[in-house]
Amino acid sequence: MSSDSRSYKAQVLAELLSRKLTRPLVASLVSCVHCGMCHTACHYALADPEDPRMTPSYKGDQLRKIFKRNHDWTGRVVPWWVGAKAPITDEDLEALKEIAFGTCTNCRRCTFNCPMGVDTASINRTMRGLLTAVGVMPEGVRVVSKDQWEIGNQMGVLKEDYLETLEWLSEELVAEVGDPAAAIPIDKQGARVVYAINPREVKYDPRTITNAALIFYAAGEDWTMASDWWDQTNFGLFSGDDQLGGTAGRRLFERVAELGAEKLVISECGHGFRSTRCEAQNWAGVDVPFVMESAVVTMINYIKEGRIKVDRSKNAIPVTYHDSCNLARSCGITEEPRELLRLVVSDFREMTPNRQENFCCTGGGGAMSMSEYTPRRLKSAVIKAKQIADTGAKIVATSCHNCVDGLSDLIKYYKLGCQVKQLVDLTAEGLVLEECAVRRTPRRVVPMPEPLPEVGPAPARALPLAGRTVLVVDDEEDARTFIATVLEDAGARIVYACDGDEAISVAKRERPDLITLDLSMPGKDGVEAFTELRHDPEIASTPVCIVTGHPEFRKVIYDRPVPPPEGYMDKPVEGEALVKNVRRILETAHAAA
Amino acid sequence: MPQHEPSALLHTVEIVHWIALGIMGVVYSIRVWWLLRFRATRDRQAPGNPERTNARKGALYSLANVAMPWAMESTRSKPFFYATFVLFHLGVVAGISLAFLSSLAPAVVASQAYAALSGALLAVAFVVAVGRIVRRLTTPYLRLISSPDDYFSVIMLTFWFALAVLAQLYLAGVIQGEGFLVAFLIATSFFLIYVPFSKISHYLYYPFTRYWLGRTLGHRGSMPTVRA
Repeated sequence: MSSDSRSYKAQVLAELLSRKLTRPLVASLVSCVHCGMCHTACHYALADPEDPRMTPSYKGDQLRKIFKRNHDWTGRVVPWWVGAKAPITDEDLEALKEIAFGTCTNCRRCTFNCPMGVDTASINRTMRGLLTAVGVMPEGVRVVSKDQWEIGNQMGVLKEDYLETLEWLSEELVAEVGDPAAAIPIDKQGARVVYAINPREVKYDPRTITNAALIFYAAGEDWTMASDWWDQTNFGLFSGDDQLGGTAGRRLFERVAELGAEKLVISECGHGFRSTRCEAQNWAGVDVPFVMESAVVTMINYIKEGRIKVDRSKNAIPVTYHDSCNLARSCGITEEPRELLRLVVSDFREMTPNRQENFCCTGGGGAMSMSEYTPRRLKSAVIKAKQIADTGAKIVATSCHNCVDGLSDLIKYYKLGCQVKQLVDLTAEGLVLEECAVRRTPRRVVPMPEPLPEVGPAPARALPLAGRTVLVVDDEEDARTFIATVLEDAGARIVYACDGDEAISVAKRERPDLITLDLSMPGKDGVEAFTELRHDPEIASTPVCIVTGHPEFRKVIYDRPVPPPEGYMDKPVEGEALVKNVRRILETAHAAA
Repeated sequence: MPQHEPSALLHTVEIVHWIALGIMGVVYSIRVWWLLRFRATRDRQAPGNPERTNARKGALYSLANVAMPWAMESTRSKPFFYATFVLFHLGVVAGISLAFLSSLAPAVVASQAYAALSGALLAVAFVVAVGRIVRRLTTPYLRLISSPDDYFSVIMLTFWFALAVLAQLYLAGVIQGEGFLVAFLIATSFFLIYVPFSKISHYLYYPFTRYWLGRTLGHRGSMPTVRA
């Protein structure tokens, strides 16, 4: 096979593989004997025995074939003999995407059942990372990754929305307990504990934040939440993008260090805990000066230390526990949740199998963000549904937000008639506040907070970008014309530049509201121009949206020692998405100002 | 034991199969060097569960996994398959031992006790190997993941076990025909040279794969595994 016959993406993928190879990965790639023992370990394979493609070793073979073709002696000389094969076309890459993202949740159950110790989950994650690096990924993964890169959390929660949510949760909690000391502290310098959460909590499950805040308050903890870089989840784990993983982790670590905390407590999230506690330091290549702890451990310690008191009889409904794959198999957290549950519920029932042998909730590995694979996911969920039904429990407790979503979905689909709760909810519900540390000191009575005044709807604009000036920087005329036309149609006034030097001079002259910036340009390229823009006090605060055909430059841009761009879009860009992004950036910039 | 002196042909194939062993050793050394050329990983994070386990315990547990059928659901729930795995590999050990002891200690391999044990292991391994061929041919997911090397390796081993049984019988004086031993040693030589380039070299990688997996998971606190 000539490398020339391969598509550009296929060539890049093969080159990137060379950089990703580590000793453990190579050992896993060369050790599989195709014995098939992994078949019965996988929920996809068990739920769909007629489809041989669900066998984990088949999924691992996708990367193994590429590895053999490029790195193994026999595979290079007689590829057909050992099944070595490298992708050639973009269609081949699409087929790999279907397997890597659509038939595996990287739950690692097969790894624990492989006689050879082949870590197929890590192989699959590497495959995902390679595909992501060349822009071949499900749309959901693209969107979530983009939000994590640009906004700083994987659900695209804007800072003002996050702070507003914390504010009303804080007000509710203060009103509920009648003590202003219960307010949620934000950016409290020198607090002992920083609590980092999953953006899903802000968006869909804010009660878990209040419950955690109540527990911290009850324990008399000196704690805080950060106003930014507060997301403990990390889509880099799911997309296989170590650069995103490292960047997201580093942001959180730096924030905790800036706040001077002794401990980072990670809210209940399997992949968040694994990413933050076990992986991000390795991805980012940094060591951290503080302790990292799961909120489950924190709650157990509070109970053991007598800082909070819980009445088990308040949680009398039968409860079972679902082990998150990431917590049990990748982080060794199996006994702590059980210890806590036995302290806070009166009827705990084990699920079978459990701990490291538990089956995936089917929502792991980012599956919940890949709607195109939902039918297959729900089909595979029959294994989990049976496990739950066999317990007879009415509440499935879990320490993972992905699991909450995955389990809720399958419970509804298979009509199991039970609900999913997190341990923080059960602990808070069983709390006897009067006997907790905080109530051992005299309590101040505070008036109920004033209700917020009603705010009428903002007047609608005829065109979303009316009155805005946008500088479009691109050396390709077609691209420039397309972007300009789309934005003009949305009401913006457009000014142009064809290279970095011109961009800076036009920006100074026209003072646009936003700049769309191409990276690869002759002369002064976009990376240099961006850095210069940010260093020029006259135009440093102008929002920049990178629009590039080189997604791999993302790290280059985000690693600059200057404030990151406000947006980053991959070409080809769709008109609607472009307007939406530009509008969001302008609104965010306006709110920040 | 055969009553006649080894023929020139037998003497030659004995030399050849020692040379083949040398080639295998050289190729395997290069293989290990090749594997260790790849980037080592480092776990920066603090130990996950130091009260219960650590990297060393995890690595030892992982390495011993092969002898602990209860440790994994996949082997625990398939005791027959595990038993065949053990017998198959004991057969390989018996075959290799036979190949080298036939020239190093012919009196030992000709003894009744040795011949009975070795012959039984090789015969059972042959049956297991035939079963493995059938399994690979008839199980859809195994067919899907099998390469020509997978088929050839198990067929070659089956053939080799059969020759080994015959060679053992010849060496024990049960049957006549030096040709059985010659054929077995030629097959062994081919086996020794082919193995480093095939899936059969998995046993070379086993300690590395298991060690690195166990070390990482032990450091994180999830190996040894915990069962209810």
